[in-house]
Amino acid sequence: MIFSDYKTKKALVVDDYPSMRSAFKMALASFGMTKVDLAATSSEAVIRVKSGNYDVIISDYNLGDGRDGQQLLEEMRHKNLIGLETAFLMVTAESIYERVVAAAELAPDDYLIKPFNGEILRTRLDAILLKKEAFRKVYRSFAHEDLESALAGCDDIMNTCPKYVVDALRFKGEVLVAMGDFEGAEVLYKEVIALRAVPWSRLGLAKALHLQRKDELAENLLTDIVEQSPELVAGYDLLADVQLTQNKTKEAQSTLHRGVAVSAKSPRRQRKLGEVAYQNSDLKNAEAAFKSAIDKGRNSIFLAANDFANLARVHIEQNNTQAASEVILGNRKLLQESSEGRLIAAVMLGQVAARSGQGEDAMNYMREAIKAKAQGGHADPLLALDMVDGCLKSGLESEANELLAEVARNAHDSVSLLEKAKSIYQAAGKEAAAAQIMQQATEQVAQLAKEGVLLMQRGDLQGGVQKMLLAAREAPRNPRVLMNTVWAVLRVLEQGEDHGQLLSQAKRLLDDAAWLAPEHPRLAGLQTSLRHIEVQVSAKRMASFFNFS
Amino acid sequence: MSSLEQQDLYAALLHEMKNHLVLMSITLDRVPHTDDHDHDEPLDEARLLCQRTSERLMQALFIYKNEQGGTPLNAVDAYSTEDFIQEMAVQARSLRSQLRVETDMAEDVPAIWFFDRNMLEMALINALHNSIGYARERIRIAARMDDGMLCIAIVDDSDGYPPHILQSVEDDTPLTSNGTGLGLRFSSLIAKSHINKGRKGFLRLRNEGGAVFEICVP
Repeated sequence: MIFSDYKTKKALVVDDYPSMRSAFKMALASFGMTKVDLAATSSEAVIRVKSGNYDVIISDYNLGDGRDGQQLLEEMRHKNLIGLETAFLMVTAESIYERVVAAAELAPDDYLIKPFNGEILRTRLDAILLKKEAFRKVYRSFAHEDLESALAGCDDIMNTCPKYVVDALRFKGEVLVAMGDFEGAEVLYKEVIALRAVPWSRLGLAKALHLQRKDELAENLLTDIVEQSPELVAGYDLLADVQLTQNKTKEAQSTLHRGVAVSAKSPRRQRKLGEVAYQNSDLKNAEAAFKSAIDKGRNSIFLAANDFANLARVHIEQNNTQAASEVILGNRKLLQESSEGRLIAAVMLGQVAARSGQGEDAMNYMREAIKAKAQGGHADPLLALDMVDGCLKSGLESEANELLAEVARNAHDSVSLLEKAKSIYQAAGKEAAAAQIMQQATEQVAQLAKEGVLLMQRGDLQGGVQKMLLAAREAPRNPRVLMNTVWAVLRVLEQGEDHGQLLSQAKRLLDDAAWLAPEHPRLAGLQTSLRHIEVQVSAKRMASFFNFS
Repeated sequence: MSSLEQQDLYAALLHEMKNHLVLMSITLDRVPHTDDHDHDEPLDEARLLCQRTSERLMQALFIYKNEQGGTPLNAVDAYSTEDFIQEMAVQARSLRSQLRVETDMAEDVPAIWFFDRNMLEMALINALHNSIGYARERIRIAARMDDGMLCIAIVDDSDGYPPHILQSVEDDTPLTSNGTGLGLRFSSLIAKSHINKGRKGFLRLRNEGGAVFEICVP
């Protein structure tokens, strides 16, 4: 079938060879596509995409500036610069095609192998654009978080367009996961596997199993996947997650190590490897991985201020304060850009000063850190404990205690963090003080949460929710507490009373939980229930509005 | 220079040559047909030559890699059979305008089938180029089901394959002394890399009113 509407479509061509760019432009013009922009590098492409809506992006895989087309695609999708409706065509050489496909975490709409002629470019674009048209409604529903409609749309396509059956199944699997219907996703992926055990269907099944906490099954499947398709890097990432859930940190490290050996490019994989190595007290490998995360992350959206904290922390524990301060000072400009970065810089330099016997400097840095945190700089638990350590070492004891209480409230259910906090105070010879603070802080949250659940069980939903909301206020950085609270609020709202304020509170808590633990399996289900209730509440309001008028 | 550096050099060289060939191919595409035989024929020949050269480079590389240790196909996925056949026809038509190109889908061919489209296409284009050289006036691209496999054939109206080529494919020893063997070996490798539930794809040649080049994938 031929797509005829090229005149109205806008395209972006990304290629580092000027002659290739103009060749593409001419080929596109030959079938009526005249609104074509060109970019030589991925950063240029990102700038273009930010200012213009493109229907089609054609990118070479090799982009010369140390980046590739796959990274470009992932970055643009993560930043929501392009939606599902934008067609992305990846151009590669045959020699790397199979590897490029296997490394793709996010699949482009199609691959075009060089050499190709203008006619083939057209037939491929025809096919992609016709498919985009068939899926337009589904994509829009998905983008508007109307997952039920997206689901129905997929079923509709399956029933009416046999050639899109597998595409519709694939997308339906993603919708089911987004809804939190992991059992449904499991059934669907098994259905696809019965047709053909393509790698994405096996990965999908493994993920659905993992999200249902059927981790043993998931681990067996993934072990087989990475053996059968050793180049499929997403397999290692998921396998490591599954192993981490089961506290198999040694295995997870070696899995990630294998993943990095296949593709060292992803800063997120390197960061994860560093975190797991650090957890395993393998400072040497943690250092190497965190260094790579920073290297590979430069000029990409995936570089985080926390990457510098991770590396500096490893250096400090290696007693290499020189290297630690170089990490921070060498990237000072970057770190100054955000409150989180300023916080990290101050904490790490404070640690370095404290360990070099410069007590006054250390105290100044820690005061700066406390200020940056008050200004909204986010401290993850490890950084917060670094702060505690730095404060203790520079004589800011009451500040340290306050921070410790905060960490303990939020981490009342994390043995490893509490242990770490204890050892910091032990080193300072102040374990008794710490024990008291920690006990008080954790008890309070645990007590509130327990009472809340108890009241709920007795049928006092309102009373239970109030307790849970208090627990959430005490432990605003504990995703489990937040999600339990949202769950309780949803039970109250299900009773049908209009609690507009409660609803918006639940939404805020769930947003926080999603930010803290985006991969948590309970998240999608809660989001779906919340959306349902939102629809009910607004329908009710609408109805009462019409009754009055 | 170490052998590793040498390999890198060759790879870079191949890469660059291929880029130039892509450009040349696209440049040739810009020259329109004029329906003047003296103009169109050399143009088509130049296009064909350009594509064949780059495909030879690619095939050699693929076979070399295969010998280094297997070629798992990572890109096997569901593709529309109809679109695939039509795309092959577009390929054929773009290569030589005077030939009549027909397509033929048996009724029992499903709407989708699982295969590595880009690789399968490269294997079939290889046959297409051969047929374009020998066909009298028409080429047929046909899809049918055989024993639960999807079989795609390039059929021409030439005198057919010489016996030694038929034999070599049957014996799985495509010759290498001249150009043809490389392409057949490549196509056979691609076919065999398609594996599903213990069954392997294959390439077969026969003469049936012309040359029939057929790849079946499970």
